[in-house]
Amino acid sequence: MRILVVDDDALAAEMTSAVLEDGGCDVVAVESADLALVHLAGDADFDAVVSDMNMPGLSGLDLFRTLRGRGIALPFILLSGDDPAALKALEPGLDACVAKDADLEAALMDAVADVLLPGGD
Amino acid sequence: MEPPRTPALRNRVERLRQAYLAKLPATLVEARQGLGRLVADPLDDRALADLHRLFHNLKGTAASLGLPKISAEGAAGAETLKTLQGLAPSQRELASVLADLAGRIGYLEGLSGEETAVAPEPAPAPSATPVAARNAFDPQRRVVFLCDGDVDGEQLGSQLACFGYTFNSFTDPEALKAAVLADPPDAVVMSTAGTGIFDGVEGGLSIPVLFVSERQDFATRLKAVKAGGEAYFLKPVAAHEVVEILDTVTVRHEPDPLRVLVVDDEPEMAAYHALILEGAGMVARRLDDPARILDELGEFQPDLVLMDMYMPTCSGRDLSRVIRQIPQFVSLPIIFLSSETDKSLQVSAMRVGADGFLTKPIQPEDLVTAVAVRAERTRVLRSLMMRDSLTSLLNHTTLSQFLETSIAAAQRNGGQLCFAMLDVDHFKKVNDTYGHPVGDQVLVALSHLLKQRLRNSDMVGRYGGEEFAAILQNVSEDEAVRIVDNIRRDFAALTFKAGDTEFSCSFSGGVAGFPAMDGAESIVQAADQALYAAKHGGRNRIIGSAVAAAGLKEGV
Repeated sequence: MRILVVDDDALAAEMTSAVLEDGGCDVVAVESADLALVHLAGDADFDAVVSDMNMPGLSGLDLFRTLRGRGIALPFILLSGDDPAALKALEPGLDACVAKDADLEAALMDAVADVLLPGGD
Repeated sequence: MEPPRTPALRNRVERLRQAYLAKLPATLVEARQGLGRLVADPLDDRALADLHRLFHNLKGTAASLGLPKISAEGAAGAETLKTLQGLAPSQRELASVLADLAGRIGYLEGLSGEETAVAPEPAPAPSATPVAARNAFDPQRRVVFLCDGDVDGEQLGSQLACFGYTFNSFTDPEALKAAVLADPPDAVVMSTAGTGIFDGVEGGLSIPVLFVSERQDFATRLKAVKAGGEAYFLKPVAAHEVVEILDTVTVRHEPDPLRVLVVDDEPEMAAYHALILEGAGMVARRLDDPARILDELGEFQPDLVLMDMYMPTCSGRDLSRVIRQIPQFVSLPIIFLSSETDKSLQVSAMRVGADGFLTKPIQPEDLVTAVAVRAERTRVLRSLMMRDSLTSLLNHTTLSQFLETSIAAAQRNGGQLCFAMLDVDHFKKVNDTYGHPVGDQVLVALSHLLKQRLRNSDMVGRYGGEEFAAILQNVSEDEAVRIVDNIRRDFAALTFKAGDTEFSCSFSGGVAGFPAMDGAESIVQAADQALYAAKHGGRNRIIGSAVAAAGLKEGV
């Protein structure tokens, strides 16, 4: 699995990458939604995007909508310090929405498994 | 559900947490700056958005790194700012909001120490003193588990005890494993025969493991490294070598924060730059009157001077010339700050001995980097000049200087201090019998013991040859004699190995103190006489100058 991680906070990106790599994924991390778009335009070989919500410039949600607007249907997991259920309600098209809290490790890997291994139990 | 944590992930998260906490003071400085922007212009929507994002990031990242208190403050701050964002600028009740945020930042700044039980304290605070005082002469016992399969373990243990370690010996690796899991010690010293027993431990072993072995083949060493070994010792093991590693892996030696003198005739600028440096964990002192520079240098002993280039009473260039005329400060780094962008003027500033030239306004992180790099370098150079190469204790000259300044300080504050002179008994015999390398081992062991058992505020030096000296702050002569006598007892219990033979050493010591003696010279002389009395009285003992003087009078 190759995953694009988007987070303006380098430490947070590193944390997300640590969890994903521990789960056996290859990770490329970028620090803004703009850079994510550049990467995705030049390199189609990603299995999913894991993006932070709150970033300067384009937010995680903006990134999601821009991708879908360009017809890119890559699985998209949004990370946020806010209530994930509210964000999912706001944008039901998101594949998953995970809270940045103490359970991030478990919740993120669960979400990745759900999104990337459909039908797996 | 259980988090799918592997040891590798656990270590990585731990490192991230440390990095995050180390960065927190800088983040809080940024928060204060954001607050400043909002105060200056309540309508600054970008400042508002930036500050909101900062608090929001605190909330999320701190939570996922397992730092709930920081996260809670971030959440509350973000919430406060969010209500503000929803309002039209004219409706914004800024005063109360800003007070609320300033309070949260202040709380977080205070918290940095508390929630960081896992991390070095980022900001040096005056509150560090009581902690040091609490540990005084009661070296925090650190627990080590030994498992070596043979009697050697027991012997190493008794040696470790002399260095202030408590030990438990195990013969069975499985018993060791059970004990470690039940109540983790500060470190494990084990034979390579047991390599791998901690494999598969849930979450990995977070305590340091030191291996001892009679094998030195690559495969065994590699296995030890893979098992997370912090060090690898070949048998027979020298206790002081193990202790050296144990000291570094079980104690966080907090390096003293870098000290920076900020010279600027504008108090606001000086305060601003000092704040940035303090935010990065340095100690900054502000000086707005250049005429006081020499007093400040002597008193504050900075690692670096940050100086405004243009000041009304004297230019930075003249001031640095003044500093450079004093031999002691020839190598003190000086960095100029100025809005000067003219390269030729910068070059001429360099010519008078500036080490760097920074242009205002400067990014906080650039300032921190420029200062830290140069100040660290002075530290290293200074330490090389001040320390004895074998034992890395202070050298004679430096210790004598410290004695002078300590006495001057005690005179000012009405405090007391003691000076102890120690001499290894029959050291020449050790050198002659076993050779100089073995003699050096004895000296290194004694220096470790002294460093470890005296407080941070005490200063230990190698006075020359087999002679050592220490300055003990704030103790009476009786107390100092007792402290040094405890060290003497433990040193005498150490066994040294030279080939197949084992031997022990002892030392004698004399102690004298201020205010009983009132100057550096008389204290040194009194301590020397007391040392002479200790030698004369049969060696392996510590004698105070009062007792020595009384004995002299009675002609004993």
